[in-house]
Amino acid sequence: MADSYRFIGKATPRKDAGDIVTGKSRFLNDIKLPGMLYGKVLRSPHPHAFIKKVDKRAALKLPGVKAILDWGDMPDWRGGTPRCTRALDRKVRFVGDAVALVAATSEEAANAALHLIEVEYELLPAVFAMEEALKPGAPQLYDEFPGNVVIPGVPFFGPKSLQEVVMGDVEKGFREADVITEGTFGYENIPNPLPPEPPGAIALWKEPNKLTLWISSQTPYLDQILLTHVMGKKVEVRTIGGPCGGSYGSKQMSWPLHCQAALLSRATGKPVKLAFGKEEHLAAFVLRPASRMQARVGMKRDGTVTAVSGAWLIDTGYYSMTTQAQVAVGCGEVQLAVRCPNWDLKTTIVCTNRNASGIVRGFGGQELKCSLIPLLSLAMEKAGLDPLEFFKKNFVKPGDGYFWRDGIWYTYRGVDYAESFDKGAKKFGWKEKWQGWLKPSAVDGAKRRGVGLGVHGNADIGEDASEAHVRLHPDGTAMLFSCLTEHGTGQTSNFIKMAAEVLGIAMERISLSPADSLVNPYEFGPVGSRGTYAIGSAVIAAAEDARRQLFELIAPKLGTAPENLETVDGIIYVKDNPGKKMPWKAMSIDRTITGYGRFEPDYTLTNCLMSFIEVEVDTETGKVTLLRIVNTTDVGQIIDPQGLEGQLNGCLGSAGIDTAIFEETILDRKSGQMLNANMIDYKWRTFAELPVIDNVILETPFPSHRFQAIGVGEVATAPGPSAVLMAVSNAVGVWLHDYPLTPDKILRALGKTGVVRKRGVR
Amino acid sequence: MKPFAHFNARSVKEAVGLLTEYKGKAKLNAGGTDLLGLLKNSILPDYPKAIINIKTITGLDYIKEDTTGLKIGALSKLADIARSPAVKGKYPLLSEAAHSVATPLIRNVATIGGNLVQDVRCWYYRYPHQIGGPVICRRKGGKTCNALAGDNRYHSIFGAAHGCVAVNPSDIGMALIALDASIKTSQRTIDAQGFFTAGATASTILDANELVTEIQIPQPPQGARQHYLKFTLREPVDFAIVSVASFITLKEGICADARIILGAVAPAPVRAGKAEEIIKGRPIDEASADEAAKSALRNAKPLSRNAYKVEIAKALVKRAILMEISCP
Repeated sequence: MADSYRFIGKATPRKDAGDIVTGKSRFLNDIKLPGMLYGKVLRSPHPHAFIKKVDKRAALKLPGVKAILDWGDMPDWRGGTPRCTRALDRKVRFVGDAVALVAATSEEAANAALHLIEVEYELLPAVFAMEEALKPGAPQLYDEFPGNVVIPGVPFFGPKSLQEVVMGDVEKGFREADVITEGTFGYENIPNPLPPEPPGAIALWKEPNKLTLWISSQTPYLDQILLTHVMGKKVEVRTIGGPCGGSYGSKQMSWPLHCQAALLSRATGKPVKLAFGKEEHLAAFVLRPASRMQARVGMKRDGTVTAVSGAWLIDTGYYSMTTQAQVAVGCGEVQLAVRCPNWDLKTTIVCTNRNASGIVRGFGGQELKCSLIPLLSLAMEKAGLDPLEFFKKNFVKPGDGYFWRDGIWYTYRGVDYAESFDKGAKKFGWKEKWQGWLKPSAVDGAKRRGVGLGVHGNADIGEDASEAHVRLHPDGTAMLFSCLTEHGTGQTSNFIKMAAEVLGIAMERISLSPADSLVNPYEFGPVGSRGTYAIGSAVIAAAEDARRQLFELIAPKLGTAPENLETVDGIIYVKDNPGKKMPWKAMSIDRTITGYGRFEPDYTLTNCLMSFIEVEVDTETGKVTLLRIVNTTDVGQIIDPQGLEGQLNGCLGSAGIDTAIFEETILDRKSGQMLNANMIDYKWRTFAELPVIDNVILETPFPSHRFQAIGVGEVATAPGPSAVLMAVSNAVGVWLHDYPLTPDKILRALGKTGVVRKRGVR
Repeated sequence: MKPFAHFNARSVKEAVGLLTEYKGKAKLNAGGTDLLGLLKNSILPDYPKAIINIKTITGLDYIKEDTTGLKIGALSKLADIARSPAVKGKYPLLSEAAHSVATPLIRNVATIGGNLVQDVRCWYYRYPHQIGGPVICRRKGGKTCNALAGDNRYHSIFGAAHGCVAVNPSDIGMALIALDASIKTSQRTIDAQGFFTAGATASTILDANELVTEIQIPQPPQGARQHYLKFTLREPVDFAIVSVASFITLKEGICADARIILGAVAPAPVRAGKAEEIIKGRPIDEASADEAAKSALRNAKPLSRNAYKVEIAKALVKRAILMEISCP
């Protein structure tokens, strides 16, 4: 099929590549509006306190300082799920929470003002561990969340929004099991996805209620909708996105920053830029949720899972942006990975006094898999099962069903991924390296090698709605209207590629509208892996609609029916008589043709990625070295080979595989201070030590859209961490139970150091 | 950053004069790789009133070798030291230590003098003002050392200096002690070991108006083997969790002399004297190396979170010693 396409599946340059490498791309930091002021945030030194008094007098006297605002100046704008959190509150809930805002004519003046604001606090006891937060009498973060338990459910997902996995009869399931195992695994290292460009926005307020925001975001249209709701539908919000220096999901969490910038602009009448520094990005923005699961698994010797029963505890930090949604999607995803009729998996989301967990690539599923796969592994070990065979048998197959995030049962109609697992295993040499559970694949003195695998799939590839317009011009060019920013995946070029394939014109002849919520139709945004199927479907439909209109207009002039026409490079011709032709100009030079396309959500398809990992563990120093990764997937049809390769190689970054090796946020559990909010102590792999990565990509046509393709990018990070845990456990011969596997944990597991750490104390 | 006066010093004398004039309220700036971070995050308890640029002092960036040894100007860049044929030839320990520092970009600007006097990396000490900081810890004149009761995974396993358990992060310092080097300053010449006597707020014995001018390393004897082992979570960028510099002289397979220095384990580099004694006069083998490694860490007193560093240090000492027989 691929060979019949002109652009799809071919390596084509990214539309924005030239501008990026020549420095012409205008990122948020390149925008300077006339009269623009610079905003800064004064942040709390306390994890939990009431603000008694903010003395701004000395700071206001500084030259260049135009406004200083505190919680008393903030309207009743609230965000989060449910909407209980203010972007400036009388109460601070983590070290780094916003206390006051400054706008000044320079960054230096704004910074100087921060040092002069005097704040009086009434200190409150703080709580940093989930189990402590759940105890009776624990400090309460919100009146709205008694016991610090966040209200479950996602209104946007509908009344049956998935909150747990409960079905069948687990007691019956355990009676049918050949082996039953029980354990606890935690993925509580709250890593930061850390896109290179820190979060930021420029706000311009026009009285009485018009707000324009220039933002760094992967979802510019969604930000407009979100802010409209946060601001009580009393503000007319317009969002304008530009090139976005990475997001990995996280920059969808910028509403507090947007509110703060908006308020400063309202107070000064000037445009205000508020951009976080690296320390703020690390310590006062978005982390992964912390997650721990205790569960019992029943399994037959043939790998049939008969029952899963357990409790999934999630720490969302000082508030929940979308954690309930992450739980809903995660609960859907476990059913994709494990075919089991009997479930009793309950969930609890807890608030604690640290900065918030937010949207991060892997969206609930990575967190869940990091505990669930080890829990399943305990049963596989007891039953003597190879995990490759287990997942070949258990990953969702055509005709299987699952409850998705909306609590509705869907039947899977995609491909069987077992073949891609086999192909990946062959490339990796799994059969040769796998020696059984808790057995190294090779030993060389103190160095022991181990292998592991992980799997993840997400039916978000068809989630939520998208709309697009495609406008054809008489000169043989076209414009795609879709509210999209390029956040690094290359997808904006891929949508143009899809439109180019439908319209038969070169990609250079198609441009993309500015990512302005005022001019574009509804777009949920390229979140999860929905770009290729969901957004792609809307773009294809819009292009097809435009093409249809064009043919209907031209057909009479060529004396034939529209269905007999084809178009290549701006020329319309009769299929069985190519000599009969007309240029697009024949539509008339005073006309354009606009096609409309819409995608309706479809939860009956899922993507899937399996990662095979080989590590070497130095049993004397406890160091884990990542040697090799093989990712395997089936994408239906490759749209863009390099882009796909890049996405899969991204398995290491954005709080992915390395969260199992050294990447973590280190919170002082006494003070609530984040100790490693800098790029030396936050351990982030550098390009100087990349392991060998091979990607095995199958193209079995999917029943998705015209190009039979699906997206896979988002899930690249998700299978890796649990695969590392498996590989390291196999190498050292003992189960490791939490992440990351730093030398202290390895040496303790090997019995070389006797210090036992209390759970919840890092 | 806050405003400060800025001077371009033309000579060591001028720099000393300015330091004296500002009575401890001025900071020297050579490569700036440590100082700029301290300033941007407002970490220092007293923001400096003046910055004295010493890059403008000419003739302090030499690497000279003669029959007695090596002399290195304090303003020599780590990158130049790491790739210098003279250093690589007879002083590979220093070349390895210099190469192990940070990243190529930092090594291109960071100086050897700056590396020796760099401030500690303790994350409480360096907690940034932007996130509700700074932390007034013991080293800044506060009552307690936050790391003692907090997360001390990267801190000392050999006790505190004046109540502070931050470790000396200098890779170069340990290498110089192992090489039996001397450090010449604007007022004296000190042996490298003596240079790193940790005080309450400083890691060296330098006076407020004193600066390092030259490093002097004697020529190693025949048969000297030198190694630098640095344990980090990531290969580039990171400061050592534990490092070991070894300088062992073999005569016909027997250890004639040994200097073994442990870094990042204490407020100052630690010389493992007992380990040295154990291997002296014996052939290097698994048993002697193992015995020496255990002895080097016998007096370790790990904190609540860093017992693992003791194990890593043992492994590194043993490996450094055994490298004498595995690497000809």
